[in-house]
Amino acid sequence: MSGPGALARARMLLRSFAVQGSWNYQTLIGTGLAFVLAPALKEVYKGDAEALRRALGRHTELFNSHPYLATVAAGAIARLEAEGAAPEMVARFKAAVRGSLGTLGDRLVWLMWRPMSVLLGVGLILAGAGWWVGVAVFLAAFNALHLWMRAWGLAIGLRDGLQIGRTLKGVPFPRMGDRGAQAGALLAGFAAALAGSGRADVSVLRSAGPGAHPWEWALAVAAALLGIALGPRVRGAAAVAMGLALVAGLVLART
Amino acid sequence: MILTAAQLVAVTLIGGLVALDGTSVGQFMVSRPFVAAALGGLVVGRPMEGVAAGVVLEALHLAVLPVGAARYPEGGPPAVAAGAVYAANFPPVAAAGTLLVTVLVALALEWAGGRSVEALRHLNVRFAGAPAAGISPGALAGRHLAPVAIDFARGAAITLGAVLLLGWLLRAIDFSGFPPVAVGTILRLAVVAGLASALRLFGRAHYPLFLAGAAAGAVVAWLR
Repeated sequence: MSGPGALARARMLLRSFAVQGSWNYQTLIGTGLAFVLAPALKEVYKGDAEALRRALGRHTELFNSHPYLATVAAGAIARLEAEGAAPEMVARFKAAVRGSLGTLGDRLVWLMWRPMSVLLGVGLILAGAGWWVGVAVFLAAFNALHLWMRAWGLAIGLRDGLQIGRTLKGVPFPRMGDRGAQAGALLAGFAAALAGSGRADVSVLRSAGPGAHPWEWALAVAAALLGIALGPRVRGAAAVAMGLALVAGLVLART
Repeated sequence: MILTAAQLVAVTLIGGLVALDGTSVGQFMVSRPFVAAALGGLVVGRPMEGVAAGVVLEALHLAVLPVGAARYPEGGPPAVAAGAVYAANFPPVAAAGTLLVTVLVALALEWAGGRSVEALRHLNVRFAGAPAAGISPGALAGRHLAPVAIDFARGAAITLGAVLLLGWLLRAIDFSGFPPVAVGTILRLAVVAGLASALRLFGRAHYPLFLAGAAAGAVVAWLR
């Protein structure tokens, strides 16, 4: 396999954690990609400062991808540069992969894995496992996939170069997403029922008595159905309800 | 001031780091509201109270998707402030009322934080691209890391502002006689609705699994 040496690869991986550092509405993460590629390009253009400047400048152009999968593109580009590929071909390659790297990562990570991991952590806290257990389990579960994606992405990008599209078609991301969605739905129900029970291990969610009254259970079911119907718009509805409750509480306190 | 000067500095710095974690650097998800609020609570020695604020904020943040150039609220820095202030006030005169104010202010600042992220991304355009003659590795690093430093300052400023605003509000509002039960129920219902809203992400086809999870949750609650 041609490409950068072990030290440059390690530096690329480390820099990939800041690939979105200069996110902007003109080139998106273009400058970030060049920042990640810099250690590899320094090796490729060793002794030719002008060529290095031009190469870095080329790679600051528009680019976007899911941040965890940006290493796939960075690895493949580093290999193409090491093989002396024409700049036009590298530019075409970048344009070709950026859409799929964004979609693959967004669907697996933001849509499935992250909410599933959050619900696992929150569910544990509500069940009484302790705040630090919930936080630690969430961070461990989420970052197990996160860190693997970054390291694996760089490795296969460097290994497969232009052929990366074929490799990506074979990865089990959709199946992983399906499993994550199933686990997430289960955990969402678990956490919602615990929160509605009045017996969750969070002081403000506990009811004054031994648990929720039947009418409170009925309200919790209605709230759950409303939440499912509203999706992300639940924030606004909840804020309005809480605002009204605050005003009503303050009025009642003074009468 | 509810927090000591040292706690205020620590909370502000954590807010800046959490803002970076949200997008610019890392994305280890330390910026999730329930984690960030736990950190805020930890600074004042009451992480579990920080988590109480964090769980409410987290439930209402679950269905938010940070995809591409989409506009979305920023959960981290306000959660750090909310966790720290709520924990520092504990035990409050009226826990539910105090938490309501804390959560409502944090939700408003999440929205403001999202707008400030958007403004930063416009500002970052001045660091984008490279001169026609190319760019040296040092200059490139400067162009890339300057926005990171600005993002840190932005997150720290939002957190500091949130702590000061919450501290002032909680001192100004008289919670004596505040009815705890009904307001506590509203909070609980908001959390239930927020947690259930995640089913929209996973697909409504998974309703049976959601119901199975709810049954398991009810059993666990009954056994407690």
